[in-house]
Amino acid sequence: MTEPKIRFDKVSKRYGSLTVLDRLDFEVDEGEVVTIIGPSGSGKTTVLRVLMTLEGVQDGVIWVSGEPLNKMQSKNGMVPANKAHIRRIRSRIGMVFQNFNLFPHMTALDNCIEAPIQSLGLSKAEAVERAEELLAMVGLAEKRDQYPSQLSGGQQQRVAIARALAMRPEIILFDEPTSALDPEMVGEVLSVIRALAAEHSYTILLVTHQMGFAREISDRVCFFDGGKIVEQGLPNELFGNPQNSRLQQFLSKVLEAR
Amino acid sequence: MNVRYSAIAALIAFLLGLAVATFSELRIFLPALLRGAAVTIEISILSAILFFSMSFIAGIGRLNSIRPIRWISTIYIEVFRGTSLLVILFWFFFVLPSFGVVLSPTQAAVLGLGLNFGAYGAEVVRGAITAVPKGQKEASAALNLPDWKSTLRIVIPQAIPIAIPGLSNLTIEMIKATALVSAVTLVDITFASVQQNQIHYRTLDIFIVAMVIYYCFSQLIRFGGAILEARMTRHLARPH
Repeated sequence: MTEPKIRFDKVSKRYGSLTVLDRLDFEVDEGEVVTIIGPSGSGKTTVLRVLMTLEGVQDGVIWVSGEPLNKMQSKNGMVPANKAHIRRIRSRIGMVFQNFNLFPHMTALDNCIEAPIQSLGLSKAEAVERAEELLAMVGLAEKRDQYPSQLSGGQQQRVAIARALAMRPEIILFDEPTSALDPEMVGEVLSVIRALAAEHSYTILLVTHQMGFAREISDRVCFFDGGKIVEQGLPNELFGNPQNSRLQQFLSKVLEAR
Repeated sequence: MNVRYSAIAALIAFLLGLAVATFSELRIFLPALLRGAAVTIEISILSAILFFSMSFIAGIGRLNSIRPIRWISTIYIEVFRGTSLLVILFWFFFVLPSFGVVLSPTQAAVLGLGLNFGAYGAEVVRGAITAVPKGQKEASAALNLPDWKSTLRIVIPQAIPIAIPGLSNLTIEMIKATALVSAVTLVDITFASVQQNQIHYRTLDIFIVAMVIYYCFSQLIRFGGAILEARMTRHLARPH
Protein backbone atom coordinates (compact mmCIF):
# COMPACT_ATOMS: atom_id res chain seq x y z
CA MET A 1 0.00 0.00 0.00
CA THR A 2 1.41 3.33 -0.95
CA GLU A 3 1.61 6.11 1.58
CA PRO A 4 -0.82 8.99 0.90
CA LYS A 5 0.81 12.28 -0.10
CA ILE A 6 -0.92 14.14 2.72
CA ARG A 7 -2.41 12.58 5.83
CA PHE A 8 -4.07 14.33 8.75
CA ASP A 9 -4.14 12.02 11.74
CA LYS A 10 -6.67 13.17 14.36
CA VAL A 11 -5.58 16.79 13.98
CA SER A 12 -7.16 19.34 16.30
CA LYS A 13 -6.81 23.10 16.14
CA ARG A 14 -8.46 25.45 18.60
CA TYR A 15 -8.53 29.19 19.07
CA GLY A 16 -9.37 29.52 22.76
CA SER A 17 -12.71 27.76 23.15
CA LEU A 18 -13.38 27.72 19.41
CA THR A 19 -12.55 24.41 17.75
CA VAL A 20 -11.57 24.92 14.13
CA LEU A 21 -10.32 21.42 13.33
CA ASP A 22 -11.91 18.64 15.36
CA ARG A 23 -9.81 15.46 15.39
CA LEU A 24 -9.64 15.64 11.63
CA ASP A 25 -8.68 12.55 9.62
CA PHE A 26 -8.01 13.41 6.01
CA GLU A 27 -5.94 11.85 3.25
CA VAL A 28 -4.89 13.00 -0.19
CA ASP A 29 -3.12 10.73 -2.65
CA GLU A 30 -0.24 11.70 -4.86
CA GLY A 31 -1.41 13.53 -7.98
CA GLU A 32 -4.93 13.82 -6.66
CA VAL A 33 -6.93 17.04 -7.08
CA VAL A 34 -9.09 17.58 -4.02
CA THR A 35 -11.46 20.48 -3.51
CA ILE A 36 -12.64 21.54 -0.09
CA ILE A 37 -15.97 23.30 0.18
CA GLY A 38 -17.95 24.40 3.16
CA PRO A 39 -19.50 27.35 4.96
CA SER A 40 -17.21 30.03 6.38
CA GLY A 41 -15.77 29.01 9.72
CA SER A 42 -15.93 25.35 8.77
CA GLY A 43 -12.13 25.02 8.97
CA LYS A 44 -11.51 24.60 5.25
CA THR A 45 -8.92 27.37 4.96
CA THR A 46 -7.36 26.25 8.24
CA VAL A 47 -6.55 22.88 6.66
CA LEU A 48 -4.38 24.69 4.12
CA ARG A 49 -2.87 27.07 6.66
CA VAL A 50 -1.76 24.36 9.07
CA LEU A 51 -0.41 22.32 6.16
CA MET A 52 1.64 25.34 5.06
CA THR A 53 2.75 25.69 8.73
CA LEU A 54 1.39 29.24 8.87
CA GLU A 55 -0.37 28.05 12.02
CA GLY A 56 0.31 25.30 14.48
CA VAL A 57 -2.04 22.61 15.72
CA GLN A 58 -2.74 21.46 19.26
CA ASP A 59 -3.14 17.73 18.67
CA GLY A 60 -2.50 15.12 16.06
CA VAL A 61 0.09 14.61 13.40
CA ILE A 62 0.18 15.86 9.82
CA TRP A 63 2.10 13.59 7.46
CA VAL A 64 3.56 14.64 4.14
CA SER A 65 4.87 11.80 1.92
CA GLY A 66 5.10 9.59 4.96
CA GLU A 67 7.07 12.07 7.05
CA PRO A 68 5.60 13.98 9.97
CA LEU A 69 5.36 17.75 9.41
CA ASN A 70 4.54 19.13 12.84
CA LYS A 71 6.48 16.45 14.71
CA MET A 72 9.77 14.71 14.25
CA GLN A 73 11.24 11.41 15.30
CA SER A 74 13.78 11.46 18.08
CA LYS A 75 15.16 8.80 20.38
CA ASN A 76 12.37 9.65 22.81
CA GLY A 77 9.71 9.11 20.18
CA MET A 78 7.81 11.90 18.46
CA VAL A 79 8.68 15.41 19.57
CA PRO A 80 7.49 18.81 18.26
CA ALA A 81 9.31 19.63 15.04
CA ASN A 82 12.06 22.23 15.06
CA LYS A 83 12.43 24.95 12.44
CA ALA A 84 14.91 23.08 10.29
CA HIS A 85 12.63 20.04 10.12
CA ILE A 86 9.58 22.15 9.29
CA ARG A 87 11.49 23.99 6.56
CA ARG A 88 12.68 20.72 5.05
CA ILE A 89 9.22 19.17 4.89
CA ARG A 90 7.33 22.28 3.85
CA SER A 91 9.69 22.84 0.92
CA ARG A 92 7.48 20.28 -0.85
CA ILE A 93 4.44 22.51 -0.46
CA GLY A 94 3.52 25.70 -2.29
CA MET A 95 0.60 27.98 -1.63
CA VAL A 96 -1.46 30.48 -3.58
CA PHE A 97 -3.33 33.00 -1.46
CA GLN A 98 -6.68 34.68 -1.79
CA ASN A 99 -5.02 38.12 -1.74
CA PHE A 100 -2.06 37.08 -3.94
CA ASN A 101 0.49 38.43 -1.40
CA LEU A 102 2.97 39.27 -4.11
CA PHE A 103 5.98 41.24 -2.92
CA PRO A 104 5.00 44.79 -3.97
CA HIS A 105 8.57 46.10 -4.09
CA MET A 106 9.64 43.52 -6.66
CA THR A 107 8.81 43.05 -10.33
CA ALA A 108 6.90 39.97 -11.51
CA LEU A 109 10.18 38.29 -12.44
CA ASP A 110 11.88 39.22 -9.16
CA ASN A 111 8.90 37.80 -7.29
CA CYS A 112 9.48 34.50 -9.06
CA ILE A 113 13.26 34.30 -8.60
CA GLU A 114 13.50 35.59 -5.01
CA ALA A 115 12.83 32.33 -3.20
CA PRO A 116 14.52 30.00 -5.70
CA ILE A 117 17.72 32.02 -5.24
CA GLN A 118 17.41 32.78 -1.52
CA SER A 119 15.90 29.51 -0.39
CA LEU A 120 16.84 26.82 -2.92
CA GLY A 121 20.22 28.40 -3.68
CA LEU A 122 19.78 28.46 -7.45
CA SER A 123 22.05 30.72 -9.48
CA LYS A 124 20.41 33.85 -10.82
CA ALA A 125 20.63 32.60 -14.40
CA GLU A 126 18.93 29.30 -13.55
CA ALA A 127 16.23 31.03 -11.54
CA VAL A 128 15.52 33.56 -14.28
CA GLU A 129 15.29 30.84 -16.92
CA ARG A 130 12.81 28.85 -14.84
CA ALA A 131 10.82 31.98 -13.92
CA GLU A 132 10.57 33.07 -17.54
CA GLU A 133 9.23 29.64 -18.52
CA LEU A 134 6.63 29.79 -15.79
CA LEU A 135 5.58 33.36 -16.57
CA ALA A 136 5.17 32.28 -20.19
CA MET A 137 3.10 29.32 -19.03
CA VAL A 138 0.68 31.60 -17.17
CA GLY A 139 0.64 33.91 -20.20
CA LEU A 140 2.56 36.81 -18.67
CA ALA A 141 5.98 36.60 -20.31
CA GLU A 142 5.77 40.21 -21.46
CA LYS A 143 4.87 41.44 -17.94
CA ARG A 144 8.10 40.25 -16.33
CA ASP A 145 9.36 43.74 -15.52
CA GLN A 146 6.05 45.10 -14.22
CA TYR A 147 5.46 45.70 -10.54
CA PRO A 148 2.38 44.12 -8.92
CA SER A 149 0.69 47.52 -8.67
CA GLN A 150 0.86 47.78 -12.46
CA LEU A 151 -0.93 44.45 -12.95
CA SER A 152 -4.61 43.55 -12.78
CA GLY A 153 -5.84 41.23 -10.03
CA GLY A 154 -6.02 38.30 -12.41
CA GLN A 155 -2.50 38.95 -13.64
CA GLN A 156 -1.22 39.27 -10.07
CA GLN A 157 -2.76 35.94 -9.14
CA ARG A 158 -1.20 34.29 -12.19
CA VAL A 159 2.21 35.68 -11.20
CA ALA A 160 1.57 34.31 -7.70
CA ILE A 161 0.93 30.86 -9.20
CA ALA A 162 4.14 31.09 -11.24
CA ARG A 163 5.99 32.18 -8.09
CA ALA A 164 4.70 29.17 -6.16
CA LEU A 165 5.61 26.78 -8.99
CA ALA A 166 9.12 28.24 -9.21
CA MET A 167 9.88 26.49 -5.93
CA ARG A 168 9.12 23.14 -7.59
CA PRO A 169 6.60 22.02 -5.00
CA GLU A 170 4.99 18.58 -5.06
CA ILE A 171 1.85 19.86 -3.42
CA ILE A 172 0.05 23.10 -4.27
CA LEU A 173 -2.51 24.68 -2.00
CA PHE A 174 -4.99 27.15 -3.46
CA ASP A 175 -6.79 29.21 -0.84
CA GLU A 176 -9.84 30.74 -2.53
CA PRO A 177 -7.66 31.88 -5.43
CA THR A 178 -10.44 33.76 -7.23
CA SER A 179 -12.38 35.22 -4.30
CA ALA A 180 -10.62 38.59 -4.39
CA LEU A 181 -10.94 38.98 -8.15
CA ASP A 182 -13.33 40.98 -10.28
CA PRO A 183 -15.67 38.55 -12.06
CA GLU A 184 -14.17 39.13 -15.49
CA MET A 185 -10.75 38.02 -14.24
CA VAL A 186 -11.83 34.77 -12.64
CA GLY A 187 -11.67 32.84 -15.90
CA GLU A 188 -8.01 33.52 -16.68
CA VAL A 189 -6.92 32.28 -13.23
CA LEU A 190 -9.18 29.23 -13.35
CA SER A 191 -7.80 28.22 -16.74
CA VAL A 192 -4.25 28.21 -15.32
CA ILE A 193 -5.36 26.06 -12.38
CA ARG A 194 -7.32 23.81 -14.74
CA ALA A 195 -4.17 23.19 -16.78
CA LEU A 196 -2.21 22.31 -13.65
CA ALA A 197 -4.93 19.98 -12.43
CA ALA A 198 -5.08 18.20 -15.79
CA GLU A 199 -1.36 17.45 -15.62
CA HIS A 200 -1.74 15.42 -12.41
CA SER A 201 1.96 15.94 -11.71
CA TYR A 202 1.05 18.00 -8.68
CA THR A 203 -1.06 17.07 -5.71
CA ILE A 204 -3.58 19.88 -5.49
CA LEU A 205 -5.73 21.02 -2.59
CA LEU A 206 -8.18 23.74 -3.50
CA VAL A 207 -10.53 25.75 -1.32
CA THR A 208 -13.08 27.53 -3.45
CA HIS A 209 -16.61 28.83 -3.75
CA GLN A 210 -16.62 28.18 -7.50
CA MET A 211 -18.80 25.08 -7.38
CA GLY A 212 -18.92 24.58 -11.14
CA PHE A 213 -15.15 24.70 -11.31
CA ALA A 214 -14.78 22.34 -8.35
CA ARG A 215 -17.07 19.87 -10.05
CA GLU A 216 -15.16 20.11 -13.29
CA ILE A 217 -11.55 19.68 -12.13
CA SER A 218 -11.69 17.68 -8.90
CA ASP A 219 -11.01 14.03 -8.44
CA ARG A 220 -12.74 14.31 -5.07
CA VAL A 221 -14.72 16.97 -3.24
CA CYS A 222 -14.81 17.25 0.56
CA PHE A 223 -17.53 19.11 2.39
CA PHE A 224 -16.30 20.56 5.67
CA ASP A 225 -18.48 21.66 8.54
CA GLY A 226 -17.56 22.22 12.17
CA GLY A 227 -13.92 21.29 11.62
CA LYS A 228 -14.70 17.89 10.18
CA ILE A 229 -15.34 16.29 6.84
CA VAL A 230 -19.06 15.75 6.82
CA GLU A 231 -19.28 14.24 3.36
CA GLN A 232 -16.85 13.51 0.57
CA GLY A 233 -16.88 11.80 -2.78
CA LEU A 234 -16.66 12.11 -6.51
CA PRO A 235 -17.77 15.54 -7.65
CA ASN A 236 -20.73 14.30 -9.62
CA GLU A 237 -22.03 12.23 -6.70
CA LEU A 238 -21.46 14.91 -4.09
CA PHE A 239 -23.03 17.70 -6.10
CA GLY A 240 -25.63 15.54 -7.88
CA ASN A 241 -26.80 13.46 -4.97
CA PRO A 242 -25.77 15.00 -1.63
CA GLN A 243 -26.63 12.76 1.33
CA ASN A 244 -25.95 14.97 4.34
CA SER A 245 -28.62 17.53 5.21
CA ARG A 246 -26.09 20.27 5.95
CA LEU A 247 -24.47 19.73 2.58
CA GLN A 248 -27.88 19.86 0.91
CA GLN A 249 -28.59 23.14 2.71
CA PHE A 250 -25.20 24.54 1.83
CA LEU A 251 -25.49 23.66 -1.83
CA SER A 252 -28.99 25.05 -2.18
CA LYS A 253 -27.81 28.35 -0.64
CA VAL A 254 -24.72 28.57 -2.80
CA LEU A 255 -26.58 27.71 -5.98
CA GLU A 256 -29.37 30.15 -5.12
CA ALA A 257 -26.84 32.95 -4.84
CA ARG A 258 -25.66 32.53 -8.38
CA MET B 1 1.31 72.00 -2.68
CA ASN B 2 2.53 71.80 0.88
CA VAL B 3 6.18 71.23 0.03
CA ARG B 4 6.31 74.14 -2.37
CA TYR B 5 4.67 76.42 0.19
CA SER B 6 7.24 75.71 2.87
CA ALA B 7 10.06 76.00 0.31
CA ILE B 8 8.90 79.53 -0.43
CA ALA B 9 8.58 80.25 3.29
CA ALA B 10 12.11 78.99 3.84
CA LEU B 11 13.45 81.13 1.05
CA ILE B 12 11.72 84.27 2.30
CA ALA B 13 12.88 83.63 5.87
CA PHE B 14 16.39 83.02 4.68
CA LEU B 15 16.52 86.17 2.56
CA LEU B 16 14.97 88.19 5.36
CA GLY B 17 17.48 86.93 7.89
CA LEU B 18 20.29 87.51 5.46
CA ALA B 19 19.10 91.05 4.78
CA VAL B 20 18.83 91.96 8.45
CA ALA B 21 22.20 90.38 9.18
CA THR B 22 23.88 92.07 6.25
CA PHE B 23 22.38 95.34 7.26
CA SER B 24 23.92 95.06 10.72
CA GLU B 25 27.41 94.11 9.58
CA LEU B 26 27.14 90.39 9.89
CA ARG B 27 30.80 89.87 9.16
CA ILE B 28 31.69 90.58 12.76
CA PHE B 29 29.81 87.56 14.09
CA LEU B 30 28.93 85.38 11.10
CA PRO B 31 32.27 83.51 10.90
CA ALA B 32 31.85 82.35 14.50
CA LEU B 33 28.27 81.24 13.82
CA LEU B 34 29.32 79.34 10.71
CA ARG B 35 32.03 77.58 12.69
CA GLY B 36 29.25 76.67 15.14
CA ALA B 37 27.09 75.49 12.25
CA ALA B 38 29.92 73.23 11.09
CA VAL B 39 30.02 71.62 14.55
CA THR B 40 26.23 71.22 14.49
CA ILE B 41 26.43 69.55 11.08
CA GLU B 42 29.25 67.25 12.14
CA ILE B 43 27.47 66.17 15.32
CA SER B 44 24.17 65.81 13.45
CA ILE B 45 25.58 63.56 10.75
CA LEU B 46 27.49 61.32 13.14
CA SER B 47 24.56 61.10 15.56
CA ALA B 48 22.13 60.40 12.72
CA ILE B 49 24.20 57.40 11.63
CA LEU B 50 24.06 55.96 15.15
CA PHE B 51 20.41 57.00 15.51
CA PHE B 52 19.29 55.18 12.34
CA SER B 53 21.37 52.09 13.13
CA MET B 54 19.98 51.84 16.64
CA SER B 55 16.43 52.47 15.39
CA PHE B 56 16.60 49.46 13.09
CA ILE B 57 18.59 47.22 15.42
CA ALA B 58 16.34 47.81 18.42
CA GLY B 59 13.14 48.09 16.36
CA ILE B 60 13.78 44.71 14.72
CA GLY B 61 15.13 43.30 17.97
CA ARG B 62 11.96 44.16 19.79
CA LEU B 63 10.00 41.93 17.42
CA ASN B 64 12.52 39.08 17.43
CA SER B 65 11.28 35.63 18.32
CA ILE B 66 14.18 35.10 20.72
CA ARG B 67 13.15 36.41 24.11
CA PRO B 68 16.49 37.75 25.46
CA ILE B 69 16.93 39.82 22.28
CA ARG B 70 13.47 41.29 22.85
CA TRP B 71 14.34 42.04 26.48
CA ILE B 72 17.62 43.77 25.67
CA SER B 73 15.94 45.88 22.99
CA THR B 74 13.11 46.85 25.33
CA ILE B 75 15.51 47.74 28.15
CA TYR B 76 17.58 49.90 25.80
CA ILE B 77 14.50 51.68 24.45
CA GLU B 78 12.98 52.30 27.87
CA VAL B 79 16.22 53.51 29.48
CA PHE B 80 17.15 55.98 26.75
CA ARG B 81 13.61 57.11 26.02
CA GLY B 82 12.80 57.52 29.67
CA THR B 83 15.75 59.68 30.70
CA SER B 84 16.67 63.26 29.91
CA LEU B 85 19.06 63.80 27.01
CA LEU B 86 20.93 66.44 28.99
CA VAL B 87 21.45 64.02 31.87
CA ILE B 88 22.60 61.33 29.42
CA LEU B 89 25.14 63.78 27.98
CA PHE B 90 26.39 64.61 31.49
CA TRP B 91 26.70 60.91 32.19
CA PHE B 92 28.77 60.18 29.12
CA PHE B 93 31.04 63.18 29.63
CA PHE B 94 31.35 63.70 33.37
CA VAL B 95 30.32 60.41 35.04
CA LEU B 96 31.88 57.75 32.81
CA PRO B 97 35.45 59.02 33.45
CA SER B 98 35.05 58.00 37.11
CA PHE B 99 34.58 54.45 35.77
CA GLY B 100 37.70 54.85 33.67
CA VAL B 101 35.92 55.57 30.38
CA VAL B 102 37.01 58.94 29.04
CA LEU B 103 35.15 60.21 25.99
CA SER B 104 35.96 63.25 23.87
CA PRO B 105 33.22 65.92 23.73
CA THR B 106 32.29 64.81 20.21
CA GLN B 107 32.14 61.13 21.21
CA ALA B 108 29.98 61.92 24.23
CA ALA B 109 27.64 64.11 22.18
CA VAL B 110 27.26 61.60 19.34
CA LEU B 111 26.71 58.68 21.70
CA GLY B 112 24.19 60.63 23.78
CA LEU B 113 22.19 61.95 20.83
CA GLY B 114 22.41 58.78 18.74
CA LEU B 115 21.38 56.42 21.54
CA ASN B 116 18.66 58.73 22.82
CA PHE B 117 17.01 59.26 19.44
CA GLY B 118 17.65 55.66 18.43
CA ALA B 119 15.32 54.66 21.26
CA TYR B 120 12.53 56.81 19.82
CA GLY B 121 13.36 55.66 16.29
CA ALA B 122 13.16 52.02 17.34
CA GLU B 123 9.50 52.51 18.16
CA VAL B 124 8.89 54.14 14.78
CA VAL B 125 10.60 51.22 13.03
CA ARG B 126 8.69 48.69 15.13
CA GLY B 127 5.43 50.38 14.19
CA ALA B 128 6.41 50.37 10.52
CA ILE B 129 7.31 46.68 10.57
CA THR B 130 3.99 45.85 12.23
CA ALA B 131 2.22 47.87 9.53
CA VAL B 132 3.53 45.62 6.73
CA PRO B 133 0.62 43.29 5.88
CA LYS B 134 0.78 39.89 7.58
CA GLY B 135 0.33 38.21 4.21
CA GLN B 136 3.87 39.21 3.22
CA LYS B 137 5.33 37.18 6.06
CA GLU B 138 3.01 34.28 5.19
CA ALA B 139 4.00 34.38 1.54
CA SER B 140 7.65 34.28 2.61
CA ALA B 141 6.95 31.23 4.77
CA ALA B 142 5.04 29.55 1.95
CA LEU B 143 8.11 30.14 -0.25
CA ASN B 144 10.21 28.62 2.52
CA LEU B 145 12.40 31.70 2.98
CA PRO B 146 14.31 31.57 6.27
CA ASP B 147 12.90 34.00 8.84
CA TRP B 148 15.86 36.36 8.75
CA LYS B 149 15.79 36.61 4.98
CA SER B 150 12.08 37.28 5.01
CA THR B 151 12.65 40.07 7.54
CA LEU B 152 15.61 41.54 5.71
CA ARG B 153 14.49 41.20 2.11
CA ILE B 154 10.70 41.26 2.25
CA VAL B 155 9.50 43.05 5.39
CA ILE B 156 12.15 45.73 5.99
CA PRO B 157 12.13 47.12 2.42
CA GLN B 158 8.39 47.63 2.81
CA ALA B 159 8.71 49.02 6.34
CA ILE B 160 11.27 51.69 5.40
CA PRO B 161 8.93 53.93 3.38
CA ILE B 162 6.36 53.63 6.18
CA ALA B 163 9.01 54.66 8.72
CA ILE B 164 10.40 57.61 6.74
CA PRO B 165 7.94 60.32 7.87
CA GLY B 166 8.42 59.39 11.52
CA LEU B 167 12.19 59.11 11.19
CA SER B 168 12.60 62.41 9.34
CA ASN B 169 10.48 64.02 12.04
CA LEU B 170 12.84 62.64 14.67
CA THR B 171 15.89 63.70 12.65
CA ILE B 172 14.65 67.29 12.68
CA GLU B 173 14.02 66.95 16.42
CA MET B 174 17.55 65.60 16.83
CA ILE B 175 19.19 68.44 14.91
CA LYS B 176 17.47 70.90 17.18
CA ALA B 177 18.49 68.86 20.21
CA THR B 178 22.15 69.28 19.22
CA ALA B 179 21.76 72.68 20.89
CA LEU B 180 22.34 70.78 24.14
CA VAL B 181 25.88 69.69 23.25
CA SER B 182 27.33 72.87 24.70
CA ALA B 183 26.83 70.99 27.97
CA VAL B 184 29.81 68.85 26.99
CA THR B 185 31.90 71.89 25.95
CA LEU B 186 31.18 71.81 22.20
CA VAL B 187 30.68 75.17 20.50
CA ASP B 188 27.69 74.60 18.20
CA ILE B 189 25.46 77.25 16.59
CA THR B 190 23.49 77.89 19.74
CA PHE B 191 26.50 78.22 21.98
CA ALA B 192 28.38 80.29 19.37
CA SER B 193 25.38 82.62 19.19
CA VAL B 194 25.30 83.02 22.95
CA GLN B 195 29.03 83.76 22.98
CA GLN B 196 28.82 86.26 20.12
CA ASN B 197 25.90 87.96 21.78
CA GLN B 198 27.89 88.36 24.96
CA ILE B 199 30.70 89.97 22.97
CA HIS B 200 28.77 92.12 20.49
CA TYR B 201 25.30 92.57 22.06
CA ARG B 202 23.60 92.17 18.67
CA THR B 203 20.85 89.97 20.04
CA LEU B 204 18.30 90.39 17.24
CA ASP B 205 20.48 89.66 14.21
CA ILE B 206 22.58 86.94 15.83
CA PHE B 207 19.56 84.92 16.89
CA ILE B 208 17.75 85.50 13.61
CA VAL B 209 20.71 84.05 11.75
CA ALA B 210 20.85 81.13 14.19
CA MET B 211 17.13 80.47 13.68
CA VAL B 212 17.42 80.64 9.90
CA ILE B 213 20.31 78.19 9.91
CA TYR B 214 18.32 75.70 12.03
CA TYR B 215 15.28 76.19 9.80
CA CYS B 216 17.30 75.50 6.67
CA PHE B 217 18.68 72.29 8.20
CA SER B 218 15.20 71.03 9.08
CA GLN B 219 13.84 71.85 5.64
CA LEU B 220 16.72 69.96 4.09
CA ILE B 221 15.77 66.87 6.09
CA ARG B 222 12.10 67.32 5.29
CA PHE B 223 12.72 67.51 1.55
CA GLY B 224 15.22 64.68 1.69
CA GLY B 225 12.70 62.50 3.51
CA ALA B 226 9.88 63.40 1.11
CA ILE B 227 12.00 62.68 -1.95
CA LEU B 228 13.22 59.38 -0.51
CA GLU B 229 9.69 58.35 0.40
CA ALA B 230 8.37 59.23 -3.06
CA ARG B 231 11.17 57.24 -4.71
CA MET B 232 10.63 54.20 -2.53
CA THR B 233 6.85 54.11 -2.89
CA ARG B 234 6.86 54.73 -6.64
CA HIS B 235 6.19 51.09 -7.44
CA LEU B 236 4.00 50.27 -4.48
CA ALA B 237 0.29 49.80 -4.85
CA ARG B 238 -1.88 52.33 -3.10
CA PRO B 239 -3.71 50.90 -0.12
CA HIS B 240 -7.07 49.60 -1.31
